[in-house]
Amino acid sequence: MNRRPRFTWSAVVMSAALLVSAACAPAAAPAGGGGAPAGGAPATGTLTVGFLFVGPKDDFGYNQAAYLGSVEMEKKLGSKVKVLRAENVPETEEAERVMEGMIQQGAKVIFPTSYGHLDPALNVAKRHADVTFIHQGGLKTSTNLGTYFGNIYEGVYLGGVAAGKMTKTNKLGYIVSFPIPQVLENINAFELGAKSVNPAATTTVVFTANWCDPGKQAEAANNLIAQGVDVLTQHQDCGKTIVETAERKGVMSVGYHADASSLAPKGWLTGAAWNWGPLYTQEVQAVLDGKWAGSPLAGKYRVGMKEGAVNMAAFGAGVPKDVQDLVKSKQQAILDGKLAPFAGPVKDQSGKERIATGVSPTVDVLETTDYLVEGVVGTIPK
Amino acid sequence: MIEIIAAVLGGAIRSGTAVLFACLGELIAERAGVVNLGTEGCMLAGALGAFAGTAATGNPFLGALAGGLCGAALASVHAYVAVIRRANQLASGLAITILGLGITSFWGRSFVSVQIQPMNSVSIPVLSDLPLIGPVLFQHDPLTYLAMLLAPAIWFFLYRTRWGLVLRATGERQDVVYSVGATPTLIRCLAVIAGGFLAGLGGAQLAVAYTLNWVENMTQGRGFVAVALVIFASWSPFMAVAGSYLFGGALSLQLALQAQGVGVSPYLMSAVPYVVTLLVLVLVGRRRRQAMPEELRAVFEGGAGV
Amino acid sequence: MATLLRSARPWAGTQARSALAGGLWAVGAPVLLFALFLLAAGVSPIEAFAAMAQSSIGSSYGMGEMLVRAAPFALTALATAIPARAGLLNVGAEGQLVFGALGAAAMAAILGDAGAGGLLLMILAGMSFGAAWAGLVAVLRTKLQLNETISSLLLNYVAYLLVSHILQGPLKDPASFNWPFSPPVADAMKFPTLFDSRVNLGILMAPVAAIVFAAILAKTYWGLNVRVTGGNPQAARRAGINVPRTYLTVLLIAGALAGLAGVLQVAGVEGRLRPTTGVGFGYAGFLAAWMVGHHPLWLLASSVLLAGIAVSGDALQITSNLPSSSVNILTALVLLGVLSRPRGQRAA
Repeated sequence: MNRRPRFTWSAVVMSAALLVSAACAPAAAPAGGGGAPAGGAPATGTLTVGFLFVGPKDDFGYNQAAYLGSVEMEKKLGSKVKVLRAENVPETEEAERVMEGMIQQGAKVIFPTSYGHLDPALNVAKRHADVTFIHQGGLKTSTNLGTYFGNIYEGVYLGGVAAGKMTKTNKLGYIVSFPIPQVLENINAFELGAKSVNPAATTTVVFTANWCDPGKQAEAANNLIAQGVDVLTQHQDCGKTIVETAERKGVMSVGYHADASSLAPKGWLTGAAWNWGPLYTQEVQAVLDGKWAGSPLAGKYRVGMKEGAVNMAAFGAGVPKDVQDLVKSKQQAILDGKLAPFAGPVKDQSGKERIATGVSPTVDVLETTDYLVEGVVGTIPK
Repeated sequence: MIEIIAAVLGGAIRSGTAVLFACLGELIAERAGVVNLGTEGCMLAGALGAFAGTAATGNPFLGALAGGLCGAALASVHAYVAVIRRANQLASGLAITILGLGITSFWGRSFVSVQIQPMNSVSIPVLSDLPLIGPVLFQHDPLTYLAMLLAPAIWFFLYRTRWGLVLRATGERQDVVYSVGATPTLIRCLAVIAGGFLAGLGGAQLAVAYTLNWVENMTQGRGFVAVALVIFASWSPFMAVAGSYLFGGALSLQLALQAQGVGVSPYLMSAVPYVVTLLVLVLVGRRRRQAMPEELRAVFEGGAGV
Repeated sequence: MATLLRSARPWAGTQARSALAGGLWAVGAPVLLFALFLLAAGVSPIEAFAAMAQSSIGSSYGMGEMLVRAAPFALTALATAIPARAGLLNVGAEGQLVFGALGAAAMAAILGDAGAGGLLLMILAGMSFGAAWAGLVAVLRTKLQLNETISSLLLNYVAYLLVSHILQGPLKDPASFNWPFSPPVADAMKFPTLFDSRVNLGILMAPVAAIVFAAILAKTYWGLNVRVTGGNPQAARRAGINVPRTYLTVLLIAGALAGLAGVLQVAGVEGRLRPTTGVGFGYAGFLAAWMVGHHPLWLLASSVLLAGIAVSGDALQITSNLPSSSVNILTALVLLGVLSRPRGQRAA
């Protein structure tokens, strides 16, 4: 007990010194360690751009796609921009604080890349009229907040075509998180694509109620495989577990969000992948040129395969040439505007017609999808 | 139909194993009179340690060992604070879990996208060809088999060996322990560290054999479930097995039902293990709860309660 | 006030100096260890601490954020501390907060836009829901002798999953395209904010509750009953105190306070209920209460400290490229430091 007080006092003195120096530091040096000038005003011409990711930047999925886009934008615009990034930002009011922190560091453009960051972004946008917010996937805009998203269902449709052609059991599997429209769109597109080349193909859906829980993903994959599914795909944030589990069990996989073919050399078919770089560059360049406000970018901006925002990942080694050619020709048809994945007639699981013959719904209509098409096995959790 | 049942039961064992390791570990610690709510943190430490170890050495078994050691290391902090410094065990345990969460998020960043050599399933010859029982019991990874063997081994240790008796005595009446020349404090520390090692193995199984992944906070509360299951199991190793596989079964069943097209709420199904644990604790009555080691009563305060 | 501070303390006043030394060890050593961590990660501790200090106490925005986060922490800390004085260990503030938030969000959805009166009803609903959830724990303890630590811990998970289920179903915002959120709370029903920040008047409920309960515990007959029960339930029973009724009352109060924290989130900074609303606040309050030996007034300080650490995590990420959850390390070390501090007298 005697040694304690001396150690305590030395600890006190040292930690006091540390804290005092820490508290004093902001007065002498700029806020944070970035070396940016005090006050956060960037040197002439350097635009500070902030990115928020809801998960880790290397999740082989959603966040990785956004991250890679930010890297490409940074490379293209070089010294004109300075990029700040924050990962694992939860979809709660905490996101507001992260955005405010970036603004304090001088950010004039913020990309909140997860749907749940929308409300926090709208709140922060209200308080900072001089900052431009570019949100991914949102369905509400404001004067200084625009949203963007991609018609990735085009790529998912093509993935379904590949799956429909390659399946031997005619059973496809889809592991998803929540029954939001974008997810349901994808499931439907996949099944429609598969059915277009293989009328007997069915897609079994499992909802994990989680964007990234590897334990649940592995279990869902194992269960589907035990049911005879031989092609797995997913709509999750992190893509590694499912692709690897499929590869281990010898079934095929179709990717999503990002190219994960390195994880499954034998079973990888193809996958729809985001290519956000060109869009991000376009958005930031517009801000630099002062042309962002009032342009379509400031509204609900939607892009697809034509604009290069959605790409197909390379085919796996096991995909024969005739299947590759088929998918490529369908892809060309979509690019030429001759093939629309959701062209009617489209019936839902109960047989009711949801899209009439000859009708091709707009993106706005598709983003209200609340049903699953015929051929999909599974119910939407209520 | 039979494939589906086999898949669910197999899945129950597969996803229950991580919890089983942690549960058995916590059982040892509680038998000595210490509650470790830091089990969740130890599992996370084990998961990252195993993942990183496997990535570094290319050998999943070495990785699993590393995971166990990481879990043990974290648990040793709890042993120091709760046993030696005699602080409140529940608060210390929670702090350990938060510490584990922070440390693993910190060190784990660079491992999120890494691919590792998986610990592959080993089908036991002959036995794995048995109908139903075969795929359910005999087509798992080595760590799952280890967990199955661990339960009877721990039972044997606790009830048929001298040191097991001393361990149980430490939890029941520590004066007896002095009379055999051992110190309760040392035994408790060792028990907590052993518990942490097993929890680490549970995390290792999750990362290296089951999901082949590292993600921040990937255990999602399994450590706390393990602590609850120890009480559910009345501190008996075999009931711990039942409880853990029940938990795994609830998880597996919900996904299997969906794969069959049955619409179940994933949330309500996920709540089943916790509700069942509560129900069992309530229904089974005081008699079973009196199986609690005496020293634990002081931890949970209020001698009138469980 | 001074008597409140002194008399409500669980350990005797003569230990003040060793308590102070213990407190400094509890905070100093963790800071040093955390600095070592940062060095090991290749980050300058000076820069990191500077960023943390700047983002929490270095700007008015930061301080506001700290207070906004400290208020629910303090309420859940009270939800832990008050039962603790009666000898109960309530780990369920987490679930009680979430359930209270559910009550508030449900009331908001039912009322639509009902102005300040609606806010009052939301508060009442939230407190009732929180109290009900804690009441479960109380009933299990008093009628079925099931330990409250176990039951409240398990019920945390059940609460979280139940709320997620309801958000996916009956309480889902029809305008949110199937995302599991509740409808947004009407602006008139949210706590009014100060200046242009997120600091809302609702956070005042925390210090008010703390002072009220400090006074009740120290000065009233009922408060004495609670403390006696906490000291020795057998003796309390013999003295004629209705112990089960005391347990029930403190747990209901705790649940109501935790539920109030939930209301604070829903009608304050969040503006609606999400599956992740308030997650972790209950455990933070638990830690805050433990750090100060369950003293109702000092837990305000520990709540502010923990909130400051939590809030500064984001700055760490933006400036030093560390995951924001790294601050968990500091938080945990502080608590462990407090728990293992040298004491003149062993606290319960």
